[in-house]
Amino acid sequence: MIGFWIAAAGLSAAVAALVLRGAARGLAPAGDDPVLAVHRRQLSEIDELAERGLLAEGELKAARAEAGRRLLAAADQSAVWPREGLGPRRVVVVAAAVAPLLALGLYMVVGAPGAPDQPFERRVAEWRAGDPAMLDPPRIVAILEHVARSEPNNPELYRNLAIARMAGGDAVGAAEALRKAVRLAPQRADLWTALGEAFVTSEAGQVGADARTAFTQALKRDPKNLSARYHLAKGEIADGKLKAGLSGWRAVLADLAVDDPRRPALAAEIDRTAKAGRLVDAAPQQAAAAGEVTPEMIQGMVEGLAQRLAAAPDDPEGWVRLVRAYAVLGDVARRDAALKDASARFKDQPRVLAALRQAADTPPQNLNAPGANGR
Amino acid sequence: MIVEFGAFALVLALALSVAQTGLSAAGAWRRSGVLAGAGRGAALGAFAALACAFAALIYAFVGSDFSVANVAANSHTAKPLLYKVAGAWGSHEGSMLLWCLVLTGYGAAVAVFGERLPPRLRAWAVAVQGALGVLFLAYTVFASNPLTRLPDPPVEGRSLNPLLQDWALAVHPPFLYAGYVGFSVVFSFAVAALIEGKVDAAFARWVRPWTLAAWSLLTVGITLGAFWAYYELGWGGWWFWDPVENASFMPWLIGAALLHSAIVLEKRGALPGWTVFLALAAFGFSMLGAFLVRSGVLTSVHAFAVDPTRGVLLLSIMGIAAGFGFLMFAIRAPSLNAGGLFAPVSRESAIVLNNIILSAATATVLLGTLYPLIREAMDGEAVSVGPPFFNLTFTPLLVLALAILPAGPLLAWKRGDARLVMRRLWLALLIAAILGLVAYAVVTPRKALASLGLVLGFWLIGGALAELAERTKAFRAPWAEVRRRAGGLPRGAWGTTIAHAGLGLFVLGACFETAWKVESAQALSVGGRIELGGYVLTLTDVGTLEGPNYLAERGIVRVEKQGGGLVCTAQPERRFFPTGGQTTSEVALCPRGLDDLYVVIGERRAGANGQPAWLVRAYVNPWVRLIFLGPLVMALGGAISLSDRRLRMGVARKAKGAQA
Repeated sequence: MIGFWIAAAGLSAAVAALVLRGAARGLAPAGDDPVLAVHRRQLSEIDELAERGLLAEGELKAARAEAGRRLLAAADQSAVWPREGLGPRRVVVVAAAVAPLLALGLYMVVGAPGAPDQPFERRVAEWRAGDPAMLDPPRIVAILEHVARSEPNNPELYRNLAIARMAGGDAVGAAEALRKAVRLAPQRADLWTALGEAFVTSEAGQVGADARTAFTQALKRDPKNLSARYHLAKGEIADGKLKAGLSGWRAVLADLAVDDPRRPALAAEIDRTAKAGRLVDAAPQQAAAAGEVTPEMIQGMVEGLAQRLAAAPDDPEGWVRLVRAYAVLGDVARRDAALKDASARFKDQPRVLAALRQAADTPPQNLNAPGANGR
Repeated sequence: MIVEFGAFALVLALALSVAQTGLSAAGAWRRSGVLAGAGRGAALGAFAALACAFAALIYAFVGSDFSVANVAANSHTAKPLLYKVAGAWGSHEGSMLLWCLVLTGYGAAVAVFGERLPPRLRAWAVAVQGALGVLFLAYTVFASNPLTRLPDPPVEGRSLNPLLQDWALAVHPPFLYAGYVGFSVVFSFAVAALIEGKVDAAFARWVRPWTLAAWSLLTVGITLGAFWAYYELGWGGWWFWDPVENASFMPWLIGAALLHSAIVLEKRGALPGWTVFLALAAFGFSMLGAFLVRSGVLTSVHAFAVDPTRGVLLLSIMGIAAGFGFLMFAIRAPSLNAGGLFAPVSRESAIVLNNIILSAATATVLLGTLYPLIREAMDGEAVSVGPPFFNLTFTPLLVLALAILPAGPLLAWKRGDARLVMRRLWLALLIAAILGLVAYAVVTPRKALASLGLVLGFWLIGGALAELAERTKAFRAPWAEVRRRAGGLPRGAWGTTIAHAGLGLFVLGACFETAWKVESAQALSVGGRIELGGYVLTLTDVGTLEGPNYLAERGIVRVEKQGGGLVCTAQPERRFFPTGGQTTSEVALCPRGLDDLYVVIGERRAGANGQPAWLVRAYVNPWVRLIFLGPLVMALGGAISLSDRRLRMGVARKAKGAQA
């Protein structure tokens, strides 16, 4: 805090000195009237141009006469400022003192006196020095990212970072950390498995191409890896290979210990899938009760947006959102209809058109998949 | 401590601006050198204090101090250093601080460099500049303070829009603001001259360097913005008549008109009322731009977040400042001396015509920008005004202005001879017409209007060179004399020639690119090809890479001439920024002389036979580089004019010695 007062006082003194210096320079008597100097200079320029042959004889005469007339007119109006008494100097001294005081008063109102700087590095150091049990996931993430900068080749560090990011709800960030981890320790099946799981979470429960690659790599290193086998089988079922997928799951179930808590859930999932002939969400009602967004809720929101746009259509962002929402829901007909409407409406705005096209390109998401949150 | 010191420095700058206004106005009123000098000192102090505040904000951004609300909202620890620094002016609050820094900077410049100005004019100008500072600083301190603190800072920042993480955009606002706000000095001089009741040749001479500086900087700023839109937004164009683009273009047009009318006022003492009106209008349009961008009344990719309260405050500031300026104009205009007379065919008349057209063009842009607002206010109907409106209204006006432009500098003052001018320009016109015909005959598909546009571009360049040849007697006098005459030409004359030729380059680029660009978009798997404008583009690979704060898919596109021969390897990217969940396209540009091959890669999707495919869009943009080179050449012309010793602030000391 003392540093602040010293700096503020220093700056105040410096600017007050500038004001006083300006006043002192203002005391010096003025030279020639600058207006006259401009007109004289104009006359001499005309002569210079004529000397260089850049001005014709007729033009020279007329220009000289006109500039001369203006010089005479300005000379008539020329005025010199009077000498000054003490009054103005007192005003200046008062102003130089009052301005910083006024600023200080204002600062006490709009500023945050005493609030220290909180550069990120310092905050991270404080968190590291404190009790780790008291830290929430974002702070743990910040600490681990900080450590990773000085130890960029430690795969375990990236694994922990991924766990912390996942705990903070950042599956994409977790996958990014695990990508670095597997690059550093490609022989570790557990890292490949975690990477695959992070992809599955970031892709709303779907076993996408990236996840399959990761799980395949995990299986190469650990052929018995349960998570990798479970997810690859799930991917097969999603692709329509029900028989192969279910037999994969049954093999996983057989390998689970008798008292493994995951057994009942997997058995139920196998049963449900076998009956329905496809992947089925465990319990939509439960999801809604837990505050998750269900496809029905999303449909409702999209309908609301569509109605709003029908009433007030000049909302390019709204149209982009609507087109994207239909694309995500896989409702191709309505997506195209909305795209057509909006493209006609904003046909003169290439940026909106491009955003609309991009929104229409959004791939559909399986909102019935477990863990899907409608993003 | 540093952030709070910055917050104190910001309010200190406000207090000093109040002192600057009061002391300078009292100094001018009472003819007191002491008070006026103290006002100038306060102007320097305000700039110094604001520089401290701005440095503190940059410090907070560089150190990722998320206890500062503005840093928390607009930065992130993973952002590269350059964009952390640029984040300081990437948001509404930070850019307002930059606006104020530039405003006080110009005030300080008048205080320092205006030594040879008439003391009263200078004191009034410093006072008006101070008053503008008070208005904008009060707004910044009370309504959009960038150094406001958060009691409970978040762990991580919310990042900056990834589209804004780009070098051109990082450097574009400082140039743009240096231009926009530069017109504040011109405004202050105009109000000062109106208070004094003396708008004469001397006023024009003092106002011209500031106008030139502001206009040149604005030219660079707008060009960088257009270049950013061209290669960062990824849809192949460079100007969209977007409201925010128009907001920057209107002061530029008025500034260009003012540059020319001030010459008439300086040389002939004519057009004082009109010149001072333009001087007021230029900054009026700058303020209108600030209002449009920040109030949320218009939708644009460039606009800051919507905030009606701030909009109303900015509208009030504009009303007070411009209202006072135009009130002074209304009071004084009737008594302004009309100045020298001139014939209908003369350089003055040409410049008047240029001014009328530029003002009409500004009015059409203003109408096109505000019409949607007016309609919505009147009958609630939402309409949008796009390129067709501007092509029909603005373009014909511009064509007319450009057609007469080369004749202007060749006409004599007072009374010109049209036949003489045509005798000097016929060769330029002939060459331009031949080149246009060649373009019409050679370039496919044939386009008559675009070929006419090219004639106009060549006419501008040829006309500028013909004027230079006339002044130096090139091809008519011995080489030694030509050299002597060229060496003796004032820099202002060189600046004019260069700026007019730059405009010609721009016209060539704009016409050629708009008329003859070709594009193609196809979903390509690896190995897929697009044939376009004589090139074959092959997607040879798509890999992933990690940037400092993004993940990207990078396409490797081999570009060959049809019939073989590698031209370049374009590497367009699609970047995903996990922090904000946003995706951007990174365009790959493959320069071919003046042309660009422009390649964009889209999202991955399922292609034929289960192979992944990417939507690849490619453009061949012929002569597109001239679109950006032309305005830079114009700005260079402005800078060269500015270096003319006749335009040095006040009057050159050497001249004073020569007169003694």
